[in-house]
Formats: sequence, structure tokens, C-alpha cells
Amino acid sequence: MTAPWLSAMTAPNTLVAAGGVAAVGFAAGVVGSLALLRKRPLVGDAAAHATLAGVAGGFLATGRRDLPTLLAGAFVAALAALGVLVLIRRFTRTRDDAATGIVIGVSFGLGIALVSGLPRWGLAGSGGLEQFLLGHAAAITGRDAAVLAGVSLAAVLVVAAAVKEITLVAFDAAFAAAGGWPVDWIDALVAALVAAMVVAGLPAVGAVLVTALVVIPPVAARLWTDRVAAMLMLAGLFGLVAAVVGTLVSATRPGLATGPLVVLSAATIFAVSLVVVPRRRQEGS
Amino acid sequence: MTAALASLAGGEWSLHGWALATAAVTAAACSLVGTLLVVRRMSLFGDALAHAVLPGIVVAALAGGRPGGPAVFAGALAAALVTVWLTQALRAAGGVAEDAGSGVVFTTMFALGVALVTAAGRGAHLDAACILAGDLTFVPFDTIDLAGLPVPRAFIGGGLVLSLLVAAAWATWKLQVFTAFDAAAARAAGLPVAAVTGGLLAATALATVASFQAVGAILVVALLVVPAAAAELLVRRLHHVAFVAMLLAIVGACLGYLAAWRWSVNEAGAIAVVLGLEYLAAAFLAPEDGIVARALAAAGFRWRVACEDVLAALWRGEESGAAAAPSATLRGRAAGLWLRAAGDIERTAAGWRLTPRGRRDAEMVVRSHRLWEAWLGRHVELPTDHLHPPAEWVEHHLGAGVRQRIEAELGAGGSDPHGSSIPPEA
Repeated sequence: MTAPWLSAMTAPNTLVAAGGVAAVGFAAGVVGSLALLRKRPLVGDAAAHATLAGVAGGFLATGRRDLPTLLAGAFVAALAALGVLVLIRRFTRTRDDAATGIVIGVSFGLGIALVSGLPRWGLAGSGGLEQFLLGHAAAITGRDAAVLAGVSLAAVLVVAAAVKEITLVAFDAAFAAAGGWPVDWIDALVAALVAAMVVAGLPAVGAVLVTALVVIPPVAARLWTDRVAAMLMLAGLFGLVAAVVGTLVSATRPGLATGPLVVLSAATIFAVSLVVVPRRRQEGS
Repeated sequence: MTAALASLAGGEWSLHGWALATAAVTAAACSLVGTLLVVRRMSLFGDALAHAVLPGIVVAALAGGRPGGPAVFAGALAAALVTVWLTQALRAAGGVAEDAGSGVVFTTMFALGVALVTAAGRGAHLDAACILAGDLTFVPFDTIDLAGLPVPRAFIGGGLVLSLLVAAAWATWKLQVFTAFDAAAARAAGLPVAAVTGGLLAATALATVASFQAVGAILVVALLVVPAAAAELLVRRLHHVAFVAMLLAIVGACLGYLAAWRWSVNEAGAIAVVLGLEYLAAAFLAPEDGIVARALAAAGFRWRVACEDVLAALWRGEESGAAAAPSATLRGRAAGLWLRAAGDIERTAAGWRLTPRGRRDAEMVVRSHRLWEAWLGRHVELPTDHLHPPAEWVEHHLGAGVRQRIEAELGAGGSDPHGSSIPPEA
């Protein structure tokens, strides 16, 4: 006779969902490390807050609410948010931090307005989209998990193929530009990868907190090592563990949002790393 | 919209009126603080703080504090202090860069707050959706009697915070301006820069808490940043920016509330979208920096260049005795038509010719061109055949004053390095 919380954790559908989320956690850690090395750890935050409007837009445009459709909408919205940032920088004298704040606040407001409005406009099957706010891993089916794992694998493969170029740009963008490397395109690739992982993290972690999935594991991994390959692997591992722990714990009680638990697991890993790793010289990683 | 207004004036007036008034005072408070955050490039710090105060609010609420009560304010301030301290400590102890550290701390604090809310369940005056998106419709039902009039608690809290912030801003404005634009000089002048920054953080926390129930965590970010950024595009001086930002925020809150009522969507979300539209309008229509104004100015300048080039070409043609026609490009032809209509050039049997008025203008362009070539020839080591391109560009920028100073330096009655004479000033 097992305890109810243990059987909830080990239920087959929970384990399948945890498998998909684990892949997302790993890839998010790897991709987030590149953004951290490029000193743009918060590039995903604007994209993350825009995804909610994308989820609602995806539903409005297609009338379908299967996960791939909604996530495709979210990815379009995430890229659009990054595009708007570029436009604000190009055409106004608003500074970057304020531009990011504008995109975060307005795109999220649009998402909230759409998600709250859809059911009241009498659109059938539009309820429950607010689970993308804080994440709800229990809603992930086996097919969804396979999609998430596929996206994660693709992101990791892209990183593996381009890691040399991305590292070069991250450590010395001026040198890379002088050497003829397409720095802007490599930056755009990193931003797109971050957007992809933010979107993939949406079902489990939710729009509000998914930034943490690409920020905390890399920052924790950075404490342990100075080597890029080791940092990528470690950040992936931390992300994987945090995602699995958060998913399993949230399964123990119905109605428990997954996102906060994933983030708190990652924060715990970070805190332990901070205590365990010997003090490093201050070098502003 | 008419229906909304009619209903506001009717029986639902007091409910809608109080919700609107609450939205307006919190919007004004947030945008005042936001102005200073935006000019100090601390927008994302405001974003982080707006998330990070949540666990303080939740703990205070779980301990029995009422929404908008003193305990909740104290809890939020404590959480804000913890956030600032943790971010600084991570940088000092772990070598974690400030933006990365802030990303770790504010997401963790927010996750902690949400986890506490969902773990505690109902009965704590809070739930997860309300934290994110606020609940303006509920505001008019939680009232305190003031002299027999039931006034919503959230309105009183927001009004008090707004009065406090306006008073503090009024009293310390010069200090704020100095610190915002040159913190190093302010420090060197012996001003309490650290106290000013600390006060700004406390003000951000206060404004955030006052708005939390009404509009939720995320809209606080929009209220802090968007009106201030829009106002910055419209006006220059900092107290004008603050005033315009508060005005935009109040108007946005009212329009957003009406839009939410009309299309039955969440109020906070609608207000954020309206604020976004206001920013968009400011970005396009700002009198000096707007996209439209700058495009018009650029087009106007290109047009003047085209006209001046036509005039100068005709003048040089007359000088060398060869007939010249306006340039064959579309813009050149259009400029020719315009100049003809304006009476600067005319068509004769022999071809295009300058009128006396056009000749005077053309001489000034050519004069600018040749003076600049002469000046470059004297001061810059360029081969003679490289002097023309820069002069071709600068000729459209020199006014009478600059021309006279160059001529005074070169000596009057000279010629340019190619040997052509420089026409006299008109």
C-alpha cells in the first residue's frame, strides 16, 4: 500500500508529462547559458510575457486548442515581441530597459484581456487557457510530451551545430564582427532559440515564470565552472532536475500550479550551489 | 461607448465610479514613480520589484492583514528590501552580474508568493489569478465608512499613497533631477544619492502595493513604464514628463476601464493595451521626435536639396555658357516644376533660365559650395579633385553667418581651389 502522494507522482501520465518537461528543462538550461554568456540573460522575458497573447491568438485564428497549435501561436507572438523591441530601438529614442518594460506590460495585458474575453464572447472550448499563466503539467498528454521533447531536441542540435560561433560572439563580439562573422544573425539565432524554449516551457511553467527556466540553471551552472561545454551540460542538468522535481511535486495535489514549484526547485539548486562552491574571484560573469 | 456613459451616469454610477477612481489614483501614483525609474534606466528594476513584493504581501495577508492595510504595506516593503539586498549580495559573494542576479531573485520571490497562495488555498483574500490581473470589479464592495459615505478601501489606500508620493516628489524634485541626470556629480556635491535611490525603491514598493489589488502585478509594470516612456517622447523637461505621464496614465485607466466594460474583458489587461496604444501614438505623432515628424523633416530636407541642386546646376550652366536643364531624375523634374511655379526659374526659347530671384538663391548655394571647397583646400590635406563631394553635401547646410566667417578668414574676393570665382553675399 503506497501513500497517495507517491502513487500520484508515479502515475503513468505524470511520468510521461515529466519526461517531456525534463527535455524542455534540459534544452532551456543549454539555450539560456548562451544568452547568459552573451550577457543578455533577460532576453526571454519580453518574449515570455507575449506568449499568452499568442496562445489566445492561436486559438482565435484556428478555433483549435491542441497544444502544437497554441504553442505555434505563442512562438509567433514571442518573435513579434522581439521584433517590436528592435523597432522601438530603431525608430524611437526610448531606451532599451524601458522598451523591454513596454513590451512586457502591454503584451501581457493583451494576453490577459484576450484570455479573459474569449469565454465571455461565447467561443466554445476557450475556457482554461489561463493555465498557461502559471503552468499546469497535469494537462500534458503523451503526444504533447513528444512534441515538447522534439522541440527540445531540435534546439539542442542547433546549439551543438553553432556553439563555436555563438561562443565566439558571446566572448568577443567586436572581434567576431571584425573577422566577418554575421554577429547580428548569430544574436538573432540565440534570441530565437530562447523564444523557442520559452514557448516550450509554457505548458509546464507558464508565461509569468518561464523566464526563470532560461535564467536560473545557467546562473547556477556558471558558479561551478569556467568552461563553456561543462557549463552548458551542467545548466541542462540543473534545468532537467528542476523541471522533473517541480512536475512531480505539483502532481501530489490537484490544483497546484507547476510553474512556481519548478522555479523554486531551480532556486534551491542555485542556493545550494552558492553555498557549496568555493568563493570565486569577482569577475562579473 | 454611449451606452457605457449612460450606464455610468445611471444606477451603476457609484460602482463604476469608484472602480474608475481607484484605477485612476493608482495609475497616477505608479506613473509618477515610473517617470523617475525610466529616466534613471531602472525600468526593469521596477519590473523586478513589482514581482518581488508578492511574497511579502502574501505572508502579511496569511497573517490576517487586510488587502491595502498597513501590515500588507509593511510586508511588501520588507520583501522589496530583501530583493535589493539579495541581488547586491549575489553580486558581491557569487560574482553574479546584476541583471542575471535580479532575474534569479525576482522570479524566485514571485514563485514563492504564488506557491504560498496556492498552498494556502482560499480564505486569504487572495488568489493566483487576482495577483496577476487584479480585480477592479471587486474594489467597490470592500469599503470603509468615511463620514457616512462608504469609500472603497483600495481607493483610500491608493489616494493616500498618491498624496504621499506627490508630496515627496514636490519636496525633493531638484534632488531627483540632479541624481537622475548626473549621479556622480550629485554624489561629489555631497548630496545623499544613496538615500534618494533608496527612497525611490521604497516609493516603487508603495505604489506597487497600492495598485496590486486593483490591477495586479503585471499591469503595475505597464503603469510604471509605459506612460513615462510615452511622455518622454512628447516633452523634455522632467517635471513636464512626470505631469504628462500621470495624465496619460489617468486617461489610459479611464479609457481602458470603459473598453473592458464594453468588450467584457479583464480591466487590467484592457488598461495595459490602451497604455500601449498611447505609447504607439506618441512614438508616431510626437511633435519633435515622432516618427511622422522626423520623416516629414527628412523629406522636407531632401526636397530642399533637390531644389537647390536644380538652381545651382542652372547657375553653373549660365556661368560656363552652356544651356542646362533640370535634372532628369523624377525628383529633379518635380523640383523643376515646383521652382517654375514658385517663380525661381522660367522656360524660354533657349531653354531653362533663372529668374532674378532664383539667381540670388542659386548664387548663395554656389557661394556656400565654393567657400567650403576653399576652406577645405586651405585646412585639410585633400587632393583638389576630392574637395567637390563634401562641398556638394555641406552647401545645403551653411547659412549666411557661417559663410561670412569663412570668407573673413579666407580674405574677400577669392576664388575656390578650381579657380572659379566665389559669388558675393546677397
